[in-house]
Amino acid sequence: MLLNFERLGWLKYVLLGITLLTALFLLLPIIFIAALSFGSSQWLIFPPPGWTLKWYSDLLADPRWLSSAWTSFRIAAIVTVLSVLLGLVTSFGLVRGRFLFRKTLRALFLTPMILPVVVLAVALYAFFLKIGLNGTMTGFVISHLVLALPFSILSISNALERFDKSIEDAAVLCGASPLEAKIRVTLPAISHGIFSAAIFSFLTSWDEVVVAIFMSSPTLQTLPVKVWATLRQDLTPVVAAASTLLILLTVILMALFALVRKGLKS
Amino acid sequence: MKTTFASAVFAAALAFSTSAFSAEIVFSSWGGTTQDAQKAAWADKFTAETGTTVLQDGPTDYGKIKAMVEASGVTWDVVDVEGDYAAQAGKNGMLEKLDFAVIDRSKLDPRFVTDYSVGSFYYSFVIGCNVDAVDACPKNWADLFDTTKFPGKRTFYKWSAPGVIEAALLADGVAADKLYPLDLDRAFKKLDTIKGDIIWWSGGAQSQQLIASAEAPFGSVWNGRMTALAETGVNVETSWEQNITAADSLVVPKGAKNKDAAMKFIALATSAQGQADLAAATGYAPTNLDSAALMDPEKAKTLPDQQTASQVNADMNYWAENRDAIGERWYAWQAQ
Amino acid sequence: MPSFVALPEVATVKRREFRSTLPALLFLALFFVVPVIALLLRSVLEPQPGLQNYVELLGSSTYLKVFFNTFMVSAVVTIVSLTIGFPVAWTLAIMPSRWAAIVFAILLLSMWTNLLARTYAWMVLLQRTGLINKMLMGMGLIDKPLALVNNLTGVTIGMTYIMLPFIILPLYGTIRKIDPAILQAAALCGANRWQALTRVLLPLTVPGMAAGALMVFVMSLGYFVTPALLGGTSNMMLAELIAQFVQSLVNWGMGGAAALVLLVVTLALYAVQLRIVGNESEGGR
Repeated sequence: MLLNFERLGWLKYVLLGITLLTALFLLLPIIFIAALSFGSSQWLIFPPPGWTLKWYSDLLADPRWLSSAWTSFRIAAIVTVLSVLLGLVTSFGLVRGRFLFRKTLRALFLTPMILPVVVLAVALYAFFLKIGLNGTMTGFVISHLVLALPFSILSISNALERFDKSIEDAAVLCGASPLEAKIRVTLPAISHGIFSAAIFSFLTSWDEVVVAIFMSSPTLQTLPVKVWATLRQDLTPVVAAASTLLILLTVILMALFALVRKGLKS
Repeated sequence: MKTTFASAVFAAALAFSTSAFSAEIVFSSWGGTTQDAQKAAWADKFTAETGTTVLQDGPTDYGKIKAMVEASGVTWDVVDVEGDYAAQAGKNGMLEKLDFAVIDRSKLDPRFVTDYSVGSFYYSFVIGCNVDAVDACPKNWADLFDTTKFPGKRTFYKWSAPGVIEAALLADGVAADKLYPLDLDRAFKKLDTIKGDIIWWSGGAQSQQLIASAEAPFGSVWNGRMTALAETGVNVETSWEQNITAADSLVVPKGAKNKDAAMKFIALATSAQGQADLAAATGYAPTNLDSAALMDPEKAKTLPDQQTASQVNADMNYWAENRDAIGERWYAWQAQ
Repeated sequence: MPSFVALPEVATVKRREFRSTLPALLFLALFFVVPVIALLLRSVLEPQPGLQNYVELLGSSTYLKVFFNTFMVSAVVTIVSLTIGFPVAWTLAIMPSRWAAIVFAILLLSMWTNLLARTYAWMVLLQRTGLINKMLMGMGLIDKPLALVNNLTGVTIGMTYIMLPFIILPLYGTIRKIDPAILQAAALCGANRWQALTRVLLPLTVPGMAAGALMVFVMSLGYFVTPALLGGTSNMMLAELIAQFVQSLVNWGMGGAAALVLLVVTLALYAVQLRIVGNESEGGR
């Protein structure tokens, strides 16, 4: 009865009410950002005295926004590829292997996920200065890879654990080479794990600000650093305009994704 | 496959490290409208004259400077820092000595010149007030610390730096010429009386937002930020009574890669014209004594160097000596 | 390769699998373990070798207050997130999937929105002259603005906002896996709603809740941006203190010491979490 929606009775309305309020709570700042981006008050006064598109034209007139978005995208894309590949190889070892300390090793791989980011940021900054990687693309990719890898290993090894190894063995028995069997049988079966590894890795890098603040250089600045610097120094609604465009992009991507999934099902 | 990736990564690393040899220097400042003005008044002209590109970085971060110097990986060539930091860091061996054969110190305001630093610009902590949001505006520090006559939230600079402690002592009745050495016990006791009514601002933009939105309708702010706020149409009043001056300095971190170009850049930045251009754009005062003559007299009148009637100069040498001790006590007091 | 040759090799293959974890191991050793240990070493080497940084850190009432704040804020955020997250996850697990899809879309959208932008939106929304206070005053519910930001309330709202998905998503999975027949059985045995909830449903979700709660607690411990923007100076948390030591006070020794304290606490809790999660998956198999 508690798990049957129709038979909940009055409790159903209580639960729906809480969920609705939570959804509104989650939506509120997002809608608010969009509203601010059209407001004419430079000092984020709301409701604003009037409405304007000025912040959007300012945004497009400043090439630094676009170039930092491009930098973020490049870093996130490289991090995603490396994180998925490394995660895949490592997960096979962790799930299939039966060596000593396997669990300890797994725990070690997940540690960067729980380590306070500021500690890592400060540590990597000092380290990269010594070896000359600070402010470089390589430095960025390495530091974001440290943060993304645990998510990748986690999703892929979870998927791999649920996959029945005997199917792969069957393919080998039928004459496929072990590598072929892995690529043609196992990979498609754990594709959802790989997919979520990719999404998490991309997001981790794309939205990361604390490490990026330390890593950035005048020639290499990511979008979150640009947002952070603008908020601290100018506080203009251009930030709201940029965020609104990003939210719009997200909505479009999510809609596309839903459509593709629907298409695959039917 | 693994090896190809590793080699690709190292190739990329190599490509990036070699690209740093072209003719360019890196200038770090505090961002926002001030750094934009520094770029226009100094960097763009420097590039036009010498062909050396000036890359803009920031915000300035003292932890980063220390890490850079210790790791011998200094990426900033010229840095805009607070005056008290400059005086302290010079003594601690974090900075290069400036080359006064290149930089002409004869015309520079001697208050802001040391072996390791020259004044970048100087500003005043003034009392800014949103006239439309309150019945009456506080005129001096005693007013700003008086929560019965002027109820509501007020805003002060969050970080440990010259300005707030001086204001508290002046509000408590200490004479301007008896401020130093600072009576910290007395200052914190005075600050305790309004602690619950303070909203701290951590960057210039935030001070503007707090006053414009009337979240904290008045407070102690940098004078240039109020000039800029007035230009956006907000009805603000600036009280210059007992304005407290402090300066930013230009320094070269120890081991900077392009020392010679850095000296030339500082020479241009502190020239009469460079200082006049920056002052005109920011509302802060020039540190070159010849600059005022090059400026629009109307504009020059609104700058801190003209508001000397009751001006108080923060003592940079005192701050350099006591910077760490005051800082520790300051943050501990804030966190309580 | 003929298949019958491959099968007897299984034992060696399994041992060989260890090798495929080596690249990641090497990578983390070089770019994670080494830098972090180097930072921690500074805490006992600077300004001179010794434990004076730890003596100062643990002996000062101010820093102890920062530790206390860190734990308190994390605990409050965890409890609030659980209280809101449980009914939402429960509803999501049983509501018609079309509606659930909409709520999931909102959850994902909030996670995808730039963290700083969200935090700033809250800062403006919650201030005394902000939309929420204006609305509450307009409705006549309050006569003077509530202090919603620059204090614990602000930090809690802002961090709960960020942490909610991390509670809701795993709890949703846990509740989905529960067989409704168990609850029917409880009803048949005469359990009323309250008993079914407290004696059957809640206990069954405890592993999911514990895992989610620990995750949120641990993540909150190290949070930096949100407390700095939405909290007051008297709500300072450990991560902010570390940043302050390094950036404003240029004291890497103290920064390293504070980092070690945060690290030890986090790792201890992580070990507890591994226990819980480990047991759960073991039991499931």
